[in-house]
Amino acid sequence: MGIKVLGVNHRTAPLEVRERFAHGAHEVPGALARVLAAGASGGVLLSTCNRTEFYLVTDDELPPLDTVWSLLGERLTAAPSGGAREYGYIEHDRDAVRHLYRVSAGLDSMILGESQIQGQVRDAWEASRAQAGPVLHRLFQTALHVGSRVRTETELGMGTASAASAATQVAGKIFGDLAGRHALILGAGDMAELAATCLSDQGVQITLVANRTQERARAIAERLGGRAVSLEEAWAYFATIDIALCSTAAPHAVVTWERVGSVIARRRGRPLCVLDLAVPRDVDPAIAQIENVFLYDVDDLQTVAAQATARRRDEVPAAERIVEEETDLFWAWYGGLGVVPTIKELRSRMEQLRAAELERALRQLSALSPEDRARVEQFSQSLMNKFLHQPTLALKAAAEEGHGYGLLEALRRLFGMEPPA
Amino acid sequence: MIVTLHLVALALYALATALALAPFMGFRSTPRALAIAFPCAGAAAHVVALSQLTLVGLGPALSMLALCLVLLQLASERLLRGSAVSFFAAPLATGLVGLAVLSGLSPGTEIAASRTTWLALHVALSVLGLALMALAFIAAALYLLQFRELKARRFGQVFQLFPPLERLDRLNRFALVAGFPALTVGVLLAVGYGARFSGGAGLHVAKAQLVWGLFTWVVLGWAVWVRVVRRWDGRRAALASIAGFSAVLLVYVALKLVQPGAARFL
Repeated sequence: MGIKVLGVNHRTAPLEVRERFAHGAHEVPGALARVLAAGASGGVLLSTCNRTEFYLVTDDELPPLDTVWSLLGERLTAAPSGGAREYGYIEHDRDAVRHLYRVSAGLDSMILGESQIQGQVRDAWEASRAQAGPVLHRLFQTALHVGSRVRTETELGMGTASAASAATQVAGKIFGDLAGRHALILGAGDMAELAATCLSDQGVQITLVANRTQERARAIAERLGGRAVSLEEAWAYFATIDIALCSTAAPHAVVTWERVGSVIARRRGRPLCVLDLAVPRDVDPAIAQIENVFLYDVDDLQTVAAQATARRRDEVPAAERIVEEETDLFWAWYGGLGVVPTIKELRSRMEQLRAAELERALRQLSALSPEDRARVEQFSQSLMNKFLHQPTLALKAAAEEGHGYGLLEALRRLFGMEPPA
Repeated sequence: MIVTLHLVALALYALATALALAPFMGFRSTPRALAIAFPCAGAAAHVVALSQLTLVGLGPALSMLALCLVLLQLASERLLRGSAVSFFAAPLATGLVGLAVLSGLSPGTEIAASRTTWLALHVALSVLGLALMALAFIAAALYLLQFRELKARRFGQVFQLFPPLERLDRLNRFALVAGFPALTVGVLLAVGYGARFSGGAGLHVAKAQLVWGLFTWVVLGWAVWVRVVRRWDGRRAALASIAGFSAVLLVYVALKLVQPGAARFL
């Protein structure tokens, strides 16, 4: 059995593809069930705006991996000849562990060192807990620890660099001073709240729109000195607002040409900054064709935010060292995972063999006194222990160094033991 | 002394130009204090030079125009809290000072004392109007470049270094509205001067100057009218400013071509 990660991220797939691969929390159990049914013994699905990754415990056989690619491929309307795997990557064993640790530390993020990913890793683990299995359970637990270590022991997360802060920067490049401007925030999730707070700090008047969580929207709006309205009331605001920030969990575009095209026309050329932080996107890209509309999606904002991370790059070597250290520790644990049961099984087999051979020998030596019989039995016991001592030590040492997995495989083959379940 | 001071100003403006263009060529941005210090020092030398000069003739007028531009650049950069205006203004001012030195800084012909004040006032106000029109052009050009980058979602040097769209739009509007009265008075002085003093050999020059002055006034008036009365703003207003300034430059070149040797014609 090995650990594998396969999926797509912001480096391998454009936003148009990533938003199709994005899985809502309610879709995770179903997707993992399919992969587990294909032969994987554990799985976790990490789906964020930058990545959709399946972490699996599986052997080298292909079915679970093929299932992942076909599961993703089904979401593409116009799939390339190679299907979803043309956008993807796959990492095995130690590299897969290192990959997750780098993701959790923010080293693999579009905005270097961003902290939101740690919460997303935790959410993915929680959502997949029933299907993760002990190895991935441990892997994700340690990944969160690695993320925390990197953020406390290095300055990788210093300064403010987030899509929300970038949203404020981009709006500032259109309007200059943001004080007194009016923003409409669609959505009441964490990202919407963070962005609304950033804008409010600049003196922007906030109106929050929520379809499902009106209570939360009202609470956030109250805290920011704004107001909350329903989705039906929201469209008319596009004639007067300066900034529209969208971050809903809707699976399709919410702000469409049909809904706001005629309203925006009433602005008489006044600029409108539309910031779409959602994946899948909330705003129909056709809206950007209107001359006075400046539309930015999550990739644009992350590009802007990433420019603020130049100083963080100096911290990358220290963060990578932590990742490497923790990968070694996990791999040692993982390598040692099968050692104890294998040694137990080996000893049990040897004991059965010894007992059988001793019985056979003693039958032929029936003239021996009880004291001599005890001596022979002690001799057989001692001989077996001597034979097993060195292999046991070598296995344990290899496990501690993280090489136990290969040695175990060899041992099982040599002694004809069944592979572990 | 006048030429030396002009050369000092020229060198300092050239340095300011290099500093303004450096970030766009991949070099690190200069500290703001240094980016302001060079044009300030250049303007100081320039003011001393111009105070010793009669503001009549091509050289002095070009020199005056360059100084107005640099002063407006410094003022607008304080307003915009950025150094983007120098991206256009610094090379333009450097070129104008260079041209002024090359074309000679003496008035060319002797002017009677009674006419000097009249002419100096005319030149100063016209040049101020032209400089403000150039500033409106620069603000409009910066606006269009920033607009294009923002629409195309490009976040490079232009996005980082250029001021926000609305500030550029305000600067363009201010430059046009402030430039119009200055140019109007400048043109009126020219018309009055032409009626009172011109005649004989100087008449052709005065005519060309009048045609260009009136044309510039009409163009600037149109740009102000579309902004103030028709309430154009943003990209449309920026395009109008650029079209107006380009037309003024083209007519100037055309008149220079049909009036060779018109040394006193700006």
